[in-house]
Amino acid sequence: MNLVDWIVLFGVLGLIVLYGVFKSRGTSSMEGFLVGNRSMPWWTVCLSIMATQASAVTFLSTPGQAYNDGMRFLQFYFGLPMAMVILCITAVPLYRKLKVFTAYEYLESRFDVKVRSLAAFYFLILRGFSVGITVFAPSLILSTILGWKLEITTIMIGSLVMIYTISGGSKAVSLTQRYQLTIIMGGMIVAGAIAFYRTPDLSFGETFSYAGTVGKMNLVNFNFDPNDRYNIWSGLIGGLFLFLSYFGADQSQVGRYLAGSSLTESRLGLIFNGLLKVPMQFIILYIGILVFMFYQFNQPPLVHNKTLYERAVQADQSGVIQNIESKYKETFDLKREQSVNLASAIRADDQPKIDQTTTMINLLSMRQDSLRTQARAHIKETTGEAGNDTDFVFINFVMTQLPHGLIGLLLAVVFSAAMSSTASELNALTSTTTVDIYKRSIVKTADDGHYVTASKWITAGWAVFAMAFAMLASHAENLIQLVNIVGSLFYGTLLGIFLSAFYVKYVKSSAVFFSAIIGEAIVICLWAFTDLAFLFYNFAGCAAVIFFALVIQFFINRFTSKRKLL
Amino acid sequence: MSEPTEENRPPVFKSWSGWYWLVASVLLIQIIVYTLITNSF
Repeated sequence: MNLVDWIVLFGVLGLIVLYGVFKSRGTSSMEGFLVGNRSMPWWTVCLSIMATQASAVTFLSTPGQAYNDGMRFLQFYFGLPMAMVILCITAVPLYRKLKVFTAYEYLESRFDVKVRSLAAFYFLILRGFSVGITVFAPSLILSTILGWKLEITTIMIGSLVMIYTISGGSKAVSLTQRYQLTIIMGGMIVAGAIAFYRTPDLSFGETFSYAGTVGKMNLVNFNFDPNDRYNIWSGLIGGLFLFLSYFGADQSQVGRYLAGSSLTESRLGLIFNGLLKVPMQFIILYIGILVFMFYQFNQPPLVHNKTLYERAVQADQSGVIQNIESKYKETFDLKREQSVNLASAIRADDQPKIDQTTTMINLLSMRQDSLRTQARAHIKETTGEAGNDTDFVFINFVMTQLPHGLIGLLLAVVFSAAMSSTASELNALTSTTTVDIYKRSIVKTADDGHYVTASKWITAGWAVFAMAFAMLASHAENLIQLVNIVGSLFYGTLLGIFLSAFYVKYVKSSAVFFSAIIGEAIVICLWAFTDLAFLFYNFAGCAAVIFFALVIQFFINRFTSKRKLL
Repeated sequence: MSEPTEENRPPVFKSWSGWYWLVASVLLIQIIVYTLITNSF
């Protein structure tokens, strides 16, 4: 990092915060603060939805995931387009017609206050924890690369978001997200282009052949395995239920499309998200593949988390790490030779040579992996920290390979992604706490100004909670998966409540209330005691709520009719 | 599906079904292309 990087980083962040505050000044009504006066055009709705979903974790972890595991993570998003269609048909017209601030308000009109409060409570748990993770991920990365304390980076991110979410509410969130997403995608594509141009010997088309030959182009897997996290079936079925819950029952997304200026604008925002999301994830994953290609011809670090590595080297008296490092370098030199051979074999379409060099590359890659595992085990022994190296692959590439100026821009990308998703989450937590808890059950009759002031205090409260949670969070195996697992524990149950409300007219409030508690207990048991892929928790939770609601309603009806007869 | 009114009439297509079919078709085409990429490389 040099002066140019700092100027770019703080210039971009400062402009975003100032723009958010300036464009949303004078927001003094509940309608303005919580749903941006329902005035956004469809393209702002679409960008806002996409920026909310794509947190910093998406941009830090996803390329690293492609680097290690190939492109198969793309299948996770296959359920999203159909979820957009279903929601445009069902939930969106209903929410718009009732002019609700939150999705949970609708549940009171369909059932009663206890179902509304339970759904709001589930949402506050899942989103409350995940906003902490949303802040934690970039804070951890930035504290590592800048050598700052985690507390400082956490407070920096949290405070920047607080300034414009407290000042302008939902409108500030939507307006800033337009520019944040533009900066994010622009920065990512520039990083991918640099990785490609610094990879010698291959044209862009040949990168596909090379990546495919070494097993990275595993985009679609039709084998059904409920324990496999990413295949087409877990994506289409599990993903469909996850995204129905996320976009239909999670206020952080519902709040985004409720800000549309009409039903048409809200629907178009969701539809374009359905059209663009999968290609966008393809691009992000392929940037990870381009980084992987770069490191086929250039020596990759033994450990991508440079700070942890340097600490381990200092603490390592026995010289074990240096020994592993020299073996790692020898292995890479051999592998590079084979990579050059493979590139020329691909160009010459020489299949026997392709097969021969691929076998050699795979063997050498296994040796590299084994050395990396040994190094990580030794680092854990000497420093007591294991960490997750996958999350550092992309950012380490940025910090070591990009020119000055672009390093600052890419750091602004990480900050922007963190801020955009955190802002939506804080706004959603505020809407739910204010409308579904505070206004509904604590202070029922007050003027608009009172609730706006309360909303601002509640936003500050949730932001402080998120920062505290981020500071307490320990290293997770993989941050993106952790965020999704926390979501999946509650999303299925929430979706079950909403689907019962939309389609199962037979069930009434008490049946849904108790079935939602049973359904949640079942999902938690599945998570604690089975190896079921987490994407299926959504289906299991949703099915359990609807099934038990029907059963409980049946017995309630029988009991009631017997009492009437007596 | 709600009836098209002045307020919610979709652009380009006559009804919202056109947009929904477009989303489904684009997804299907993508899955076919990604399957071809998986099997070709």
